[in-house]
Amino acid sequence: MERRGFLGRSIAGGIALGSGPALSQARSADLPAQVTPTAYANRRSGYNPFGTPDYYTYADDLTIERNRPGKPHQGKVLAAVQAHSDDIPLFAGGLVAKLIDEGYTGYLIRISNDESSGTTLGHGVVQNEIDYQEVAKNLGCKNAFSFYYRNHRMDDCAELEIRARLIFLFRVLQVNALVAMDPYNHYDENPDHLVAGRAAEAACWMSGGLRDYPEHYRAGLKQARVREKYYFSRAPQGHNLVNRVVDISSYIDHKVRGNVANKGKGPAGTAGSRMRQELARQGKKLELLGNDDDTANFQYVKHFLMDDWKLLGERFGLGYAEAFRYIGPQPNYQENVRKYADQHAVRL
Amino acid sequence: MDAEPIVVERSQPGQPHRGKVFAAVHAHLDDLPYYAGGLCAKLIAEGYTGYVIRTSNDEKVGGQTTAQNILSNEQEHVRMAAALGCKDVYDLYYQNHEMNDISALDIRGRLVFLFRSLKVDTVLSFNPWGHAEENPDHWVTGRAAEEAAWMSGMPNDFPEHREAGFQPHPVRERYYFYGRPGQPFNRVVDIGSHLEKKIDAIVECKSQGGGNLGSRLRADLARQGKRLALLGNDDRTADRAYVRQFLLDRYQEYGKEHNLAYAERFYYTDQRRPERSKVDEFVEKNAVSL
Repeated sequence: MERRGFLGRSIAGGIALGSGPALSQARSADLPAQVTPTAYANRRSGYNPFGTPDYYTYADDLTIERNRPGKPHQGKVLAAVQAHSDDIPLFAGGLVAKLIDEGYTGYLIRISNDESSGTTLGHGVVQNEIDYQEVAKNLGCKNAFSFYYRNHRMDDCAELEIRARLIFLFRVLQVNALVAMDPYNHYDENPDHLVAGRAAEAACWMSGGLRDYPEHYRAGLKQARVREKYYFSRAPQGHNLVNRVVDISSYIDHKVRGNVANKGKGPAGTAGSRMRQELARQGKKLELLGNDDDTANFQYVKHFLMDDWKLLGERFGLGYAEAFRYIGPQPNYQENVRKYADQHAVRL
Repeated sequence: MDAEPIVVERSQPGQPHRGKVFAAVHAHLDDLPYYAGGLCAKLIAEGYTGYVIRTSNDEKVGGQTTAQNILSNEQEHVRMAAALGCKDVYDLYYQNHEMNDISALDIRGRLVFLFRSLKVDTVLSFNPWGHAEENPDHWVTGRAAEEAAWMSGMPNDFPEHREAGFQPHPVRERYYFYGRPGQPFNRVVDIGSHLEKKIDAIVECKSQGGGNLGSRLRADLARQGKRLALLGNDDRTADRAYVRQFLLDRYQEYGKEHNLAYAERFYYTDQRRPERSKVDEFVEKNAVSL
């Protein structure tokens, strides 16, 4: 793992990384010389309405997480929590596929019923139910769960109940790592995202508590120890703190397939084949879209919808990248104090 | 509309309920022993495995600090349930007298989980539709228990429970407490053979419920140089005698109408399904060979 001092006070203004454009190059000519930018505008392809957010703020201990050889996460469990069927595949599909490939057992948890898309509400719910299972499969998840809360109305759901259900699942599945939407995703206009993020955040630590829902333990469940969290930004207009950039170049095709699986909502699904058919009706074709629907759907997603993550990757000298607010395991405070005592204690 | 007939439920010989499970869901330490202590003891004697679930933390009663009240009620709750013969006790610790502001979904979800994990067949609780109930903890608890009883049988409610091996499990029988005058009841349970257990349970309720009034009266009289023969020579005897003499009048009244020494009243519903439905019978009677 490579750790870079990135926007430290001594290197204010940013430094160039790899072959991509440096963060400093994005500086506006209107920005007075004495002002140090505290957020960076992401370059956007303009192809995808649900791409990287407008701004990232980078922490000075930012880490680039690259592929890890072997199966370093063997035996660990990952829960990817999303409000809607397209959230994880769009914003963290590469990370989830990577972590699973590196040994994690992955589970996908969807909070809403995705009823707000589809020809009728009923059709939307059914299609999205099929989709999120397919998304889970394409990302390599072992199983997928859905809570079916009403889409776009989750701010009127009992957050306590959502949290309790997540606590239950984290304990049953013995979750070690969480991938979820950032509960502090500024300017996110979708209430479902914020509710899902908050519930997941609280469930992480409470699932390790002995006094929260103790009846679980008496039924045989065990404390969960969710030690790692990857929060992703979901709002296109968002402004997020980023301290981890994940190289997903090796997993971009998994991410593409995860998005192609989302037929009921989002920008991906069958958009490629529909475009191919539309062009054919006009007597045209796009070489990019190939000669069949499956190829068209894959290529459309990869070349149009993944472009924002390609641009993000270029900034860090990577093929494709996703960005996260990462929270890692806490130090063992008691052990550290004990070590100090062992080192410094003198005879009475 | 005809008045619903009152059924008198008497003691049954043997263990006709062996293998069945009941959950008594109450809000406060002293609710269950008064409203249904006799029924609990009777059902357990007849083969049921019993669990007690207390929804509040009882912080408002006990005559001590809020924190000390929570502790004393917690400890007495364990002893009260043991006196009735229950297998185990669960406390959900929602804030006493504040339960109408808690998430109804949260408490219901927890009860669904418990009903499934304990495989509850029968629930005892407050009548959620009982009038004149001034304590919000009672009707919130009753409502949650009622909803959880049927939802626990629905496969699409909390389907994640199956991941842990807890299958949908409907609660088919319900005994709702006769909590306040005027509330409906359709069942009178003969608790004569189980009165001692009811008293045993009530005397454990010292923070609330009058379980130690006998010993306190005995000590008070002693300070005045007096004694009541009724109260005997030790605190336990005094407490039990006090409960029997002064606190069970209403249960005698309930029994009197049915020539019983003591009785408890309930609104009972039975949603058990016959092994053979009317459709089965119709098909059997009318189906012909092709």
